[in-house]
Amino acid sequence: MKPTLLLLLAVTVLSARAAEYSCTISSAKGAPVADAVVSLVPLDAPVPPVPADAHVEIAQQDQEFTSYVTVVQAGTKVVFPNRDSVQHHVYSLSKPKKFELPLYNPGKAESIVFDVAGLVTIGCNIHDWMISHLVVVPTPWFAKSDAAGTAKITAPAGRYRLEIWHPRGAVAAKELTLADSAATKETAVLTLKPDRRVRRSVGTKTGGY
Amino acid sequence: MALRIFRFRRFSTQLLLLLAGLFAVVQLSVYLLISRVNERNAIEHIHQNLQIGARIFHQNLSERIIFLTGTGKTMANDYAIRLLLKQEHLDAQTLASNLRSYAERVDAPVLTLFSPESEVWGTNKEGSGTENVGPFQYLIRRATENDMEQASGFSYLAGQLHVLVVVPLYAPKPNIAAWFGIAYPIDTERAREIKRTTLLDVTFSSAENEPHPRVLATTLAPGMAEKQTGPNSAAAGIMDGIHTITLGGEPYVTLFEKLELLGEAPARIALQRSLTAELAPARELERLVLFISLVALAAATLVIFGIARGVSRPMRELARHTNLVAAGDYTQRIDLPREDELGQLASAFNHMTEGLAERDRVRNLLGMVVSPEIATQLLHSDLKLGGEERVVTVLFCDLRDFTSFSEKMPPTEVLTLLNRYLDRMSGIIEQHGGVIDKYIGDAIMALFGAPVATPDAARGAVAAARDMARALEVLNAELQAEGKPVLAFGIGINTAQVVAGNMGSKTRLNYTVIGDGVNLASRLEGLTKDPAYATPIIISEATLAAIEPRPSARALGEVRVKGKADAVRIYALSARGETKPPYSV
Ligand SMILES: [Cu+2]
Repeated sequence: MKPTLLLLLAVTVLSARAAEYSCTISSAKGAPVADAVVSLVPLDAPVPPVPADAHVEIAQQDQEFTSYVTVVQAGTKVVFPNRDSVQHHVYSLSKPKKFELPLYNPGKAESIVFDVAGLVTIGCNIHDWMISHLVVVPTPWFAKSDAAGTAKITAPAGRYRLEIWHPRGAVAAKELTLADSAATKETAVLTLKPDRRVRRSVGTKTGGY
Repeated sequence: MALRIFRFRRFSTQLLLLLAGLFAVVQLSVYLLISRVNERNAIEHIHQNLQIGARIFHQNLSERIIFLTGTGKTMANDYAIRLLLKQEHLDAQTLASNLRSYAERVDAPVLTLFSPESEVWGTNKEGSGTENVGPFQYLIRRATENDMEQASGFSYLAGQLHVLVVVPLYAPKPNIAAWFGIAYPIDTERAREIKRTTLLDVTFSSAENEPHPRVLATTLAPGMAEKQTGPNSAAAGIMDGIHTITLGGEPYVTLFEKLELLGEAPARIALQRSLTAELAPARELERLVLFISLVALAAATLVIFGIARGVSRPMRELARHTNLVAAGDYTQRIDLPREDELGQLASAFNHMTEGLAERDRVRNLLGMVVSPEIATQLLHSDLKLGGEERVVTVLFCDLRDFTSFSEKMPPTEVLTLLNRYLDRMSGIIEQHGGVIDKYIGDAIMALFGAPVATPDAARGAVAAARDMARALEVLNAELQAEGKPVLAFGIGINTAQVVAGNMGSKTRLNYTVIGDGVNLASRLEGLTKDPAYATPIIISEATLAAIEPRPSARALGEVRVKGKADAVRIYALSARGETKPPYSV
């Protein structure tokens, strides 16, 4: 009971001193960039721990991952449920977490805790076109840009390192100070590389076979 | 005659037509030659291209087989498929989705997994039947029986021509756990690939002897390929090899080849190129050549026209001058400052005109020195010594007492008077066809019938004598009026056979007559001095007899002539018998 109360108190204190941060990301051509990850890593204050029951889901459905880009705080448990009609063989060879979930049948779910911050690119051995990006950040203050390219974060006032990442764009990082009860609005421009994802063919090619 | 129409009066037109015609013929020949060579080259070029195209086609197929085999082998070693095959029960749906993923990876539209016993385990095409797996199973059987690492061939899959490859999935080698069957279509896209590199049109069609031959793929325009497929087509009955067939009115040089199929009648490959299209750049060039030829012809015509005029104008100028010279005008000269033959001709012409003018002057002078008839005779006959015998009437006329007469006057006045007298007498003699042979002091020797024989020479001589007498009267009247003394003369006329011709030395000739008859005429003139005859004009019987009808004359009797046996009868023309003027003649 006590810790809950303390946490509530902390949230109240924090919210009392919260600052609004908003960043609108556009491509070099001026188009809004969705699926960009914006995170604020506190430079002075300690990072609050991940709640014990916190978990995020990346499902497999229709021979695709349900989410193209997912952001989690380091230490979060990610569940990989198979909601498909075929088996999948989920794996990653990325440095923060190398793993393999060997062929598992529809209805089953595997889960993995991602402790190390960094980018984890997830694929499927059976289906070349399946890809998902899991961005593990060392902070609870993060957001993913929406269709309008805007990512909004509410965080306590203080000094932060702002990081922006996108599957097709370079990491942009800079230092930033959020003031009390003030709204900071920024814009960022990302130079996007061409989309090189494996295209999944739809329907039959030569027909009749 | 056909040539007649090409005969133009003007040299420039002839030259123009000749050269321009030659030029046009040469140009036309060159054009036709180029055209023929171009066509032959085009066909030759197409032949080469067809063979290259066929090689490229077969090479493309072998490369595709090598590629499919290579990627198939790599795929067979993939981790995921092994995990799938490892499972207790084969998950057909997952396998199918996995095969779809592989098919994308190796860029093969057909990917089928077979058991080692060649039964179908899965394919990348959902809901596909088993009727099109036969060719794969045939290849797997062949590979198994012949212990081959892989097998390939060509066959129809779903009615479409494909290149097929089967590769084993070793677990591990040489243990075969499954077979991959991979197929790649030989379709319009493949045909277009060949066309891109070779510019050849490519058509794949089923065997000619099938019940319903059909076009499988083509780069030709819609409907064209059908015209060379089937028993009633442009290519019906044509064997493999290169042939020229007509499609849609255009000649196509075509190479037909067979593509052997697995357990079926071979398909037919047609590589072809439109001769019209191949010749298009050459035709463009030919049009350019033709255009240049026409421009050159026009330019050449202009130049030739200029040259022809350059020749023709001086020619006409020469002709004009020739006409002037023919008309006797030697004063004109052609001014043609040219170095060529025409210039030389003009120069020669000018020299000739000068020469003619010179000759004319000489002739005029001759005509003055001798009588025109003698001058003509001299000019037209070869100048040589010797003469001919002919009948001539000789007239001698001599002034009476002129010697004493001249002593009373200064010499120049005598000469003036003498010339005045001789001029009148000479004129009369010439009027009557006489020719002055020579002047001997105040005497005149005239010939009638020489050097030109005339039929009425005697009559002319007599008439001349009468007129001379009258003219002397007129002259005397003038002289009297001028206070000068009057003149009197005597005339002797005889007709005789004499020798006429050029006499003298080799360097100096005189045309004259000699003989007794001449002497008699002189003698008769001398007789007029005799008052007994009382006449200024005495003519011989011979002269009188030569005139028809015989004129009336006063007979004076006979005279003996030196060296003649017979006497000559002589007559006076004068009726009255006066010895001094006025004479009544
Ligand atoms: Cu999968």
